Amino acid sequence: MSIYNVNYLCRELLRDHAFRAAMKADPAAALKAYDLTDAERSALLAGEVGKLYELGANGFLLGYLCRFEVCGLNLDTYNSRIRAAAPGGH
Amino acid sequence: MADVVGAFGVPHTPVFPFFVERDGPECETAKLFARMRGEIEALRPDLIVMFDTDHLNTFFFDNLPILAIGTADMFQGPNDEVRGVPMRDLKSMGDVARHIHTHVVTAGFDVASLQKYTVDHSVVVPLHFMTPQFNVPVIPIFISGHLPPLPAARRAYAFGQAVRKAIESWPGKLRVVTMGSGSFSLEVWGPRIAPGRSDGVTDPAWVTRVCGLLEKGDIETLLNEATPEQMAKAGNVGGELLDWIAMLGTIDARPAKFITPQMQNGHAYAVWS
Repeated sequence: MSIYNVNYLCRELLRDHAFRAAMKADPAAALKAYDLTDAERSALLAGEVGKLYELGANGFLLGYLCRFEVCGLNLDTYNSRIRAAAPGGH
Repeated sequence: MADVVGAFGVPHTPVFPFFVERDGPECETAKLFARMRGEIEALRPDLIVMFDTDHLNTFFFDNLPILAIGTADMFQGPNDEVRGVPMRDLKSMGDVARHIHTHVVTAGFDVASLQKYTVDHSVVVPLHFMTPQFNVPVIPIFISGHLPPLPAARRAYAFGQAVRKAIESWPGKLRVVTMGSGSFSLEVWGPRIAPGRSDGVTDPAWVTRVCGLLEKGDIETLLNEATPEQMAKAGNVGGELLDWIAMLGTIDARPAKFITPQMQNGHAYAVWS
């Protein structure tokens, strides 16, 4: 159930400005406090939002990774990666 | 007694306040909301009851009610950094909200109650344009419209009817306007967004269909066609139609006074008065 943690930390990007700054500066360090699977952690650090979506992360919340431009994401990279994912009901 | 004197269907696109500030009063969105503002001001409401779907900002996966009502005298929003719309206090009417809550639970709708809460753009953006002084108290009623399982369209409609009866059984004199906040077809940040964008209208034909049914006041057909499959096909916020459907339950079924779609956003502006 650690996809809950992926969703949670995405929303923390909106709410916790210190975490947002830490994610911009050094994402690997900022994510150390979070209990994530290896697949989730590596997908986050690579900005692989399509993979995260397929692991069960929520689209609105993944959008914060793009909105706040962390993990190398911008609208172009976000758009092409999320569009490659299979749509799901989450 | 209190009366529902008008009902509104409204969009809540979070970038609209910024766009209107940037593009001025002659842009399409500014003109559409100006018309809506004129309509609501003419009704002189004492209270707005707004059906809304939260975007994981009021609620989260730790606690995700299907139906909920804000029962405090005050809440805050927007809690999701809406450009041009700072977080502020928003007036409510806790006594009326608690009356509605009691009435609808007694009528068989198991509704959660929020006494300390914040709301996101989906409540505040329509108010930003329609009651820019934020001088009309608002009772938010939340319907889960994004994450399956969604409540059935008929259930949402019956819920709106129960809210109407609750309003009408309030002993004081109040002019109440109801609102449904949301889109008919849109994918936001999910796999079906359009190339180069953060959103996309996945089912424009459905937007046209819904607008046509609302224009005629054909609620029965709308309730038949607004299946979970159809709302899912309409994008990850397609279930926000349930907020409109609940709003429609608060008035007698009749054609809209006007309904104007904004096809590029998959939503519409509508008034019943």
